Amino acid sequence: MGRDRQQEIALVFAAMLLACAVAPPLLALVPEVTGSHANAPGATSAFPMLGSARTGALLVRSVCLSAAVTAASLVIGLPLGVLFGRFDVLGARVAWALHAFPLFLPPFLLALGWFHLLGGALLFDAFGVVLVLAFALTPIVTSLVALSVRGVDPSFEEAGLAAAGPWRVATRILAPMCSPAMGLAAVAVFSLAFSELGVPMFLRVDTYPVAVFARLGGMDYAPGDAAVLSLPLVGVAIAVFALERRTTGAYARFVATAGLRSAERSRLRLRRWRIPVSLGAHVVAISGTLPLVGLCIRAAVGFSRAGEWLGATPWNSLAASAGAATVITGIGVVLGHGLVRQARGVRWLDAIAVLGFVMPAAVLGVGMIGAWNRAPTQFIYGTLVVIALAFVARYAVLGIRVCAATFAQSPPDMEHAAAVFGAHYGRRLVRVMMPMHRAGIAGAWLLVFVFCLRDLETPVLLYPPGSEPLTVRIFTLEANGPPALVAALALIHVAITAVALAFGALLFRKGRRV
Amino acid sequence: MSDAGSPHACLELEDVTIEYGRARVLSGLSLSVQRGETLVLVGASGSGKTSVLRAFLGLVVPSRGAVLIGGRIASQDGTLLQPPESRGLAVVFQDLALWPHMTVHANLAFALDARGVARSERDRLIADLLPRLGLANRSRRYPRELSGGERQRVALARALVVDPVAVLFDEPLTNLDVVLKRDMLALLREMLAARGGTALYVTHDPREARALGDRVAVLHDGRIVQIGTWDELCTAPASEFVEALTEA
Repeated sequence: MGRDRQQEIALVFAAMLLACAVAPPLLALVPEVTGSHANAPGATSAFPMLGSARTGALLVRSVCLSAAVTAASLVIGLPLGVLFGRFDVLGARVAWALHAFPLFLPPFLLALGWFHLLGGALLFDAFGVVLVLAFALTPIVTSLVALSVRGVDPSFEEAGLAAAGPWRVATRILAPMCSPAMGLAAVAVFSLAFSELGVPMFLRVDTYPVAVFARLGGMDYAPGDAAVLSLPLVGVAIAVFALERRTTGAYARFVATAGLRSAERSRLRLRRWRIPVSLGAHVVAISGTLPLVGLCIRAAVGFSRAGEWLGATPWNSLAASAGAATVITGIGVVLGHGLVRQARGVRWLDAIAVLGFVMPAAVLGVGMIGAWNRAPTQFIYGTLVVIALAFVARYAVLGIRVCAATFAQSPPDMEHAAAVFGAHYGRRLVRVMMPMHRAGIAGAWLLVFVFCLRDLETPVLLYPPGSEPLTVRIFTLEANGPPALVAALALIHVAITAVALAFGALLFRKGRRV
Repeated sequence: MSDAGSPHACLELEDVTIEYGRARVLSGLSLSVQRGETLVLVGASGSGKTSVLRAFLGLVVPSRGAVLIGGRIASQDGTLLQPPESRGLAVVFQDLALWPHMTVHANLAFALDARGVARSERDRLIADLLPRLGLANRSRRYPRELSGGERQRVALARALVVDPVAVLFDEPLTNLDVVLKRDMLALLREMLAARGGTALYVTHDPREARALGDRVAVLHDGRIVQIGTWDELCTAPASEFVEALTEA
């Protein structure tokens, strides 16, 4: 189907929005690094730091930690995803929901919960970082794999079952067929783990992004050094980006297609293993939520003073997250549709969005400060808009991919019929595709919203004075505030997220009845 | 075998080649559907029938050759000159493609709205047509609330309500049981005869070709091997393939 003028205008508009968010911070790194920007005096003199043994060791440690988190997530998430997606695990939905919930919480809150539960002896080293982040991020692998195996054509499975048992079918047919989803999950886990500031800072583990952050928001304030130090992070991000393009980028459309279809078909039977395997799956799923128990125990006496410390922080969080989620969903609808229909140039835009996601938050932060901290752009830098803009840069890919996955659920003839009956692009999108997929689009909005809500790394570098979001308030209080109060604030954050997810789940159920 | 260039043609393909990547589906194909006739395009799976239909609809642009609608060039040599929405055609797809979030009335209204029909006229047209297809009390129902046969009739109604230049059918009866298929064939024959308009009907089933076609074109390996009335095909088949088809 040819691309009409309306589609071209929509694509250009979405591309401009995306470019406005992603391009300025990346381009702004150049003057920051060369020292030609007023905010980065003496940046060129910081280059020798890049060759120091400490810098190299920090970078290697960060890469190794992220790789360990990714490996642990794959080891736990792959079997769990296949089990939740295709086998008759008892209470699979509940277990999956419990398992996924920590993903939507700031990881440093989970670290805090683990600390209250296990004490510091086990946690305050690299093992603690891997443990906390693996439990926090494994649901990405589990969920993508589960949705992917559900999307596999049942005939592949049935052909296998005619010759082999369920276990062999799962390991030899289903698991390999969801390898693009696993690749995407691995990239996502690595990128989020590599960006993480809150967990290593809380657990007193030096990592490379922490060193960059220290030069922007700590005692060693030296923005020029931060810009130079962020260069290796750009290198790692580009390597991850290249890996994503190589492993899953070319299949973005097919990865997107995976899932949601055939959700109602019969499940593979675990037979005599059903009860023990179900128990095991529930134990793993519940383990991820244990930090919440730690927070609850600690918060008992903290709620009385929580109100005075909360201030406007929840509203700041909600406003920045809702604004970013709305913009990203708009971009996602246009570009996700273009991705599924293979519109010219959309794969490049998807690649830009991926680049924004894999770029560590510290790098984006340095770039955002360089790009927007100027007198004429204070209406952006001095308000929550700068945080929302950074969220768009980081999470646009979520909106694009979820919308693409949603649109891919309906056969193209639904839209072809509308075109043949005289509907241009705008009418097809607004009257046919969007109402038909309203649950999926609402899901995209909600996913982006909770990811923005949980984000600490982005706003901690950019929040305007007096307008910090809740994550930043909890994080700054964590160092010196009363533990009970901090735990209470953390639980309030958990409650906000749970309400948003519950509301979204209700809407999703209603929307799917169409 | 060429059948193009007639002054009375409503739908024409002239020397059309369609390729998907390196695979060539149609090669130098020419075909025309005359005004007011029902042409059935019959052929085995993979013979290129659906590609012909999609070329007329503008969903596929031939890499070579021209597609003409009502004597006007709609696509030529890889260029889409007239997008699907301005060709004035209507289609019934194999999976029917009824929009699940719209009622029967809304499905029909959408097609009329897109063509700028006034609301009062639109509602009158829908109210006139639905009873003729046995759907009088179904207008507020959603597709999921209808039986298989009712859905088929809604898809047909949606195609007919816009009074198109031509109606194109892409194997619409493939998934029906024998009884329902027989009833739908009778209804289709009646509606097409009453309308007197142009139709292109794509199928792999020779029984549908015999029942519906004023003329039947046999497509084999991307080429038209014979075109004529069903009787002509039966009495003088041009190849063993056509002979086997007519005996099926």
